[in-house]
Amino acid sequence: MDSTRTLVIEPTPGWRALDLREVWAYRELLIIFAWRDLKVRYRQTLLGALWVMGQPLVSMLIFTLLFSRVAKLPVGTSVPYPVFVMAGILIWNFASSAVQKAGNSLIGAGYLISKVYFPRLVIPLSSVISDLADFAIAGLLLIPMMLWYGITPGPTVLLTPLLVALAAMLAIGIGLWVAALNVEYRDIRVVIPWVLQIAMYVTPVVYPLSALPERYRWIALANPMTGVVEGFRAALFGTPLPQLLLLISLAAAVFFLLTGAFYFRRMERLFADVL
Amino acid sequence: MSSNAVVVEGLSKRYRIGAAHTDYTTLRDRLAGMFRRMGRAEKREIWALRDVNLEIPQGEALGLIGHNGAGKSTLLKILSRITEPTEGRALLHGRVASLLEVGTGFHPELTGRENIFLNGAILGMTRAEIRKNFDAIVAFSEVEKFLDTPVKHYSSGMYVRLAFAVAAHLTPEILLVDEVLAVGDIEFQRRCLGRMNEVARSGRTVVFVSHNLDSIERLCTKAVLMRRGTVEIFGPTRDVVAAYLARTERSAIIDLTAFSGRSGEGRAQIMGVELLSADGQQLLDSIPFGESFRVRMHYEAKERLSGASFGFGLLSEKGARIFITESFELGITYDLEPGTGKVECEIHSPNVVPGVYRLELWLSDIPGVRATDHLASVGEIEVTPGEADVRSIATLASGVRGFVYVDCAWGELSKGPGRQP
Repeated sequence: MDSTRTLVIEPTPGWRALDLREVWAYRELLIIFAWRDLKVRYRQTLLGALWVMGQPLVSMLIFTLLFSRVAKLPVGTSVPYPVFVMAGILIWNFASSAVQKAGNSLIGAGYLISKVYFPRLVIPLSSVISDLADFAIAGLLLIPMMLWYGITPGPTVLLTPLLVALAAMLAIGIGLWVAALNVEYRDIRVVIPWVLQIAMYVTPVVYPLSALPERYRWIALANPMTGVVEGFRAALFGTPLPQLLLLISLAAAVFFLLTGAFYFRRMERLFADVL
Repeated sequence: MSSNAVVVEGLSKRYRIGAAHTDYTTLRDRLAGMFRRMGRAEKREIWALRDVNLEIPQGEALGLIGHNGAGKSTLLKILSRITEPTEGRALLHGRVASLLEVGTGFHPELTGRENIFLNGAILGMTRAEIRKNFDAIVAFSEVEKFLDTPVKHYSSGMYVRLAFAVAAHLTPEILLVDEVLAVGDIEFQRRCLGRMNEVARSGRTVVFVSHNLDSIERLCTKAVLMRRGTVEIFGPTRDVVAAYLARTERSAIIDLTAFSGRSGEGRAQIMGVELLSADGQQLLDSIPFGESFRVRMHYEAKERLSGASFGFGLLSEKGARIFITESFELGITYDLEPGTGKVECEIHSPNVVPGVYRLELWLSDIPGVRATDHLASVGEIEVTPGEADVRSIATLASGVRGFVYVDCAWGELSKGPGRQP
């Protein structure tokens, strides 16, 4: 037992250090929170998995019907449309649900925040971990689909974990902003799903970037999710990686992660008093 | 190293009421405010703690007592690092664990076994520590048969026992405990107290908040009496408890002669209010749940008032009205002569759940139309669990359960479609 440690409690006005060492010290709690979320979600194993897989499956069917029967896409996709759209939906859903869950995580954990101390960063971080597990399960859908359409992934498939990590970084960064803002401005939680819904159609998720007319390309360039989605698909299907887009995504992810974490730490002192 | 486990220097905590608590800010409000420079409800500041200084030697078991709102829980929350102080600082030497509630974070869908690990981790135990103590925790809780049952199926007694069992195996050097022993049956409470005693005797430093003066006296060698956010007395438990009891009697009367928050013409004014037992023989500083009591209002009339009506209401801590009563509505009006006097009203078994409440008082010269004296929010009244069934009250008081207890009876499940012909 570390008995020589002295804890100093005093007001810490303004910006605070991130103190990631303390988050690390609480890594077991981080894991146990994620484990709790998953355990509760998959308590009824079949239903949990059905839910996680059913949702992207239905979206994939709808978009396939829409784009292959009703409105023909002007540009072809590198792989058959159902696989193409499934990959896009999976990575998008992961990022979007991670942002939403991390964003609402503090409000859901209000009862803990007012009763027990632990680094508050643990809460949004653990929610992203459980989303990652959901993504891994839903991602299994890609295997039979790729087999069915005879797509053999190239060596770049090894890069997909990195792209998922990039999506996670971006989602955590934005999620931290949303979580901290949510405590002060409760109507953020109403706005976020709406913003994400629009963002999904602005991002090349259900259509390829090449389908976007030249003069609208800047929208895609300015959107850090473009690189994540296009990059994920490129790595999966072995097409050339969109390097510029990936750089933009990486820069945005680092930016949101840093500013989000600092803003979160700054607002942290208010959580217990407000929630 | 100093021999003090906890040193508190000039600790203060300010809360802003009205800003965050009652109506939280929305982005919409903020945006709207940019166009119309409309001031929101003025913010009030409350100092929950004011310049608190304390030195707690290593191995001491210290009791914190005081009325609701005296700052005990705020002090504990700051020492637990749940909320930050506004001024001052505190130094804690050694590993700290705090127990502000038993079963924090218990998940109803998870089994007893799973909740032991979850709750243990939340309280700051490592997995290795939980593993090591697992058998002891299970034995203490007496729920071994139901370890693999989700806790939502537990009785509240089982739930509390399991929750306390986990907490009882915390082994920090400094343990901060808020009113957590007021749950479970008497036998279990005794065992919990015994366990706390062991912890205190094993050289750990314990800071213990309780309304139960009995357990404070048994557990703590020294005590602190807090009042309005400051330390009033710090000394041997016996002396502090005696001082607290002496003071309690006086505070049963809320003196309003200098009350500034009144409105109305003031032809007659309410100068004080007291709570009494139903028979009117005893002053109360708190109301036991479900028991009848009396409210006595003292007035001072500047002129003659005929057909006046007294009224009062019980408010939640945040100011929501729970009930009101007004004499003229019940067909009773009073003729006041210049000078002072008093009037009493008996409230028959109000089923207001345990908690802290405030009073709203008024005196109408034209009943139903105009109050000549109106005091929007006065004093602090505590409803205690009293002697009602401990189990149901424990559930009632915790969380957002509303304010009123209503006796309900649930029926049997009936199967089959629709309604019977």
